[in-house]
Amino acid sequence: MPARAARFRLTQRMRRNATLIGLLLLPAIGLRLFTAVYPFFNTIWLSFHDWNPAFPPQQFVGLKNFQALTRDIAVTSSISFTILFVVVSTLLEIALGMAIALILNRAFFGRGAVRAVNLIPWAIPMVVAAVGFRWMYDTQYGIINDLLHRTIGVKVPWLVDFWGARAAVIATNVWKSTPFVGLVLLAALQGIPQDLYEAGRVDGTNRISAFFYITLPLIMPQIVTIGLFMVVWQLAAFDLVFAMTGGGPGFATQVLAYRIYQVAFMALNFGYASAISMVLFVVVGVASVIGLALFRKVEVSL
Amino acid sequence: MLTAAVLAFLFVVLFPFYWIVLSSFTPKYELFTIPPRYWFSNFTLENYQVLAESIPLARYFVNSLLFAAGSSVVSVAAAFLASYALARIQFRGANVVFIVFVMSLALPQVGGLVPLFELFKNTNLINTYHGLVMLMSSLVLPFTIWILVPFLRQIPYEIEEAAIIDGARLPQLFWFITLPIMRPALVTMLIINFIIAWNELIYPLVFATSGSNKTLSVGLVELAVQPTAGGGRPWDLLSAMSVVMIVPILVLVLFFQRLIVSGLTRGAVK
Repeated sequence: MPARAARFRLTQRMRRNATLIGLLLLPAIGLRLFTAVYPFFNTIWLSFHDWNPAFPPQQFVGLKNFQALTRDIAVTSSISFTILFVVVSTLLEIALGMAIALILNRAFFGRGAVRAVNLIPWAIPMVVAAVGFRWMYDTQYGIINDLLHRTIGVKVPWLVDFWGARAAVIATNVWKSTPFVGLVLLAALQGIPQDLYEAGRVDGTNRISAFFYITLPLIMPQIVTIGLFMVVWQLAAFDLVFAMTGGGPGFATQVLAYRIYQVAFMALNFGYASAISMVLFVVVGVASVIGLALFRKVEVSL
Repeated sequence: MLTAAVLAFLFVVLFPFYWIVLSSFTPKYELFTIPPRYWFSNFTLENYQVLAESIPLARYFVNSLLFAAGSSVVSVAAAFLASYALARIQFRGANVVFIVFVMSLALPQVGGLVPLFELFKNTNLINTYHGLVMLMSSLVLPFTIWILVPFLRQIPYEIEEAAIIDGARLPQLFWFITLPIMRPALVTMLIINFIIAWNELIYPLVFATSGSNKTLSVGLVELAVQPTAGGGRPWDLLSAMSVVMIVPILVLVLFFQRLIVSGLTRGAVK
C-alpha cells in the first residue's frame, strides 16, 4: 500500500473527528492553562494591585508597584546580578561545554565511562550542588580555601565577600550546568559528516583551522539554541541562590526569582511580588527575541 | 595532553561528590579541623543515624519517590495523547498548538506562584498529592511534547493503517501498536521527568507545607537555611542527606545512561 495513501486515509478519518482531537489534547492543554497560562495573566493583573493575603481585598493602585520597584535597591541589585549571573554563566558554559564535547568526541580508553560521569552533574539536584559547594567554600573549614592556602598561601572569605560570593555562586552554577551543554554540543559534533574533515585535510587545514572553519560554523545553530535555552532557563534560577547564599551578603547574590519568592511568601506582599514577576517576564521576553533573531541569522548564513 | 584533559575533567566533576561522601561518613567533630582531612578517618554511620532521628527522613524519601513517580507518569501520559494528536492527525492549527506548547517552556515558574497559591488555596489543593503532581507534570509537559512529537512523526503510517483496516479502534491501536513502538521514547521521558521531579524544589516548597508532605529537597534546604545556635551549618547532616538524595539518581543514570542521553539531545540536534 503506498505510504501517501495510508497517511491520507488515516489522517482523513481522524481529522473529521473533532471530539477525538479535543479529548487527546484536553489533559495537556488543561494542565498548561491551569498552572501556567492562567497564573501568567493573573500575575499581570495583580501587578497593578495592592494585595496582602492576610487583609483580603485587592486594591487597584495603578503603577504604584512599578514606581516602587525603581527605588527598591533589593530589586535593582537583583536585576543587575541576575543579568550578570546569566550572561557570565552562559558564556562559560558554552566555552567549557565546547571543550568537554571536543574531548569526549576523541577516542580514548574508558570514553563510555567518562561520558556517563558527564551526565552526573546534570542529574543531581541543584540544591545538593548548592549545599555541597557551600560547605566546600566555607572560609574556615572549607576544602577550597585549604587547597588555596596550600598552593598559593591565601584564604578567600568566599561567601561573606561581595565579589567572592558572586564568583562562588556563578562557579557552582557553571560546574552543575556545563556538562549538560557539553552533552548537547557533543551530539552536534557527532552529526558532522567526517568527509568534510578529510576534504579539509586535502586543502591543508590543521586541527585548529578545521575547528574554526568547519566545526564551529556547522554547529553554530546548535550553539545558539542551547545558549538561548540556558539563558531563559537560568533567568528563572531559584534553587541555587536560595540554598547557597540566601541572596547575601547584603544583596550581592540576590536574583529576581528568589526576590519574588521572598516578597510573596515571606513579606506576603502579593501585588508587589507580581510587579517584580513582570520585570522577570520582560527580561525573559527580551532575551528570547534576541536569541531567536540570532538563531535566524546563523541559520540563514549556512 | 588528551589524557591530562580527561583526568582534569574527571577530577573537577567527581571531587565534590567525593567530598560530600567523605563528610557524610566523618564524625562531626572531625569535620571542623584545620587543615581538613582528605581521607576517611574514624569511619562512622553516626551522621545518618542522627539525621534519621532529627527529621522524618523515611517519610520525606517516600514523598519524593511518590511525587517524582506520579509526575513522571502523568506528564508522559498527557504528553503522549497530545503529541499523538499534534503529530498524527494533521488538523488545522496543529503546528501552532505545538509551537505554543513549546514556547510556554519559557514562562518562568516562579512568576506564576502567587496566583497559583491563591488558586490552590481556594480549591483545597495545597498539601495534596494530586495538586503537586498536577503542577509538576505541567512543568515538564512542554519539553516532553517537544521530544515525543518528532519521534511519533517517524513511525510509518502503514503500520497503523493496517491495524485500523483489521478493525482496531483507537484504544486498541494505542495499546497494541503505537505504545509498543514508542516504548523507548516513552521510557526515556519517564526517566528524565522522574529525575527532574525528584530534584524539584519550588513547587514542594510552596505547596507542600505540612510536615507529612515535604520532599527530600525541601528537607535539605530547611536544614541548610534554618538558623542554628552557633550560626554554623550542620555539615554532618547536610552531607548525609545529600548522599541519600543522590544515590537513587546515580542508580538511574548508570542503568539508563544511553536512553537519557538520547532523550536530552534529541530536541537540540533535530
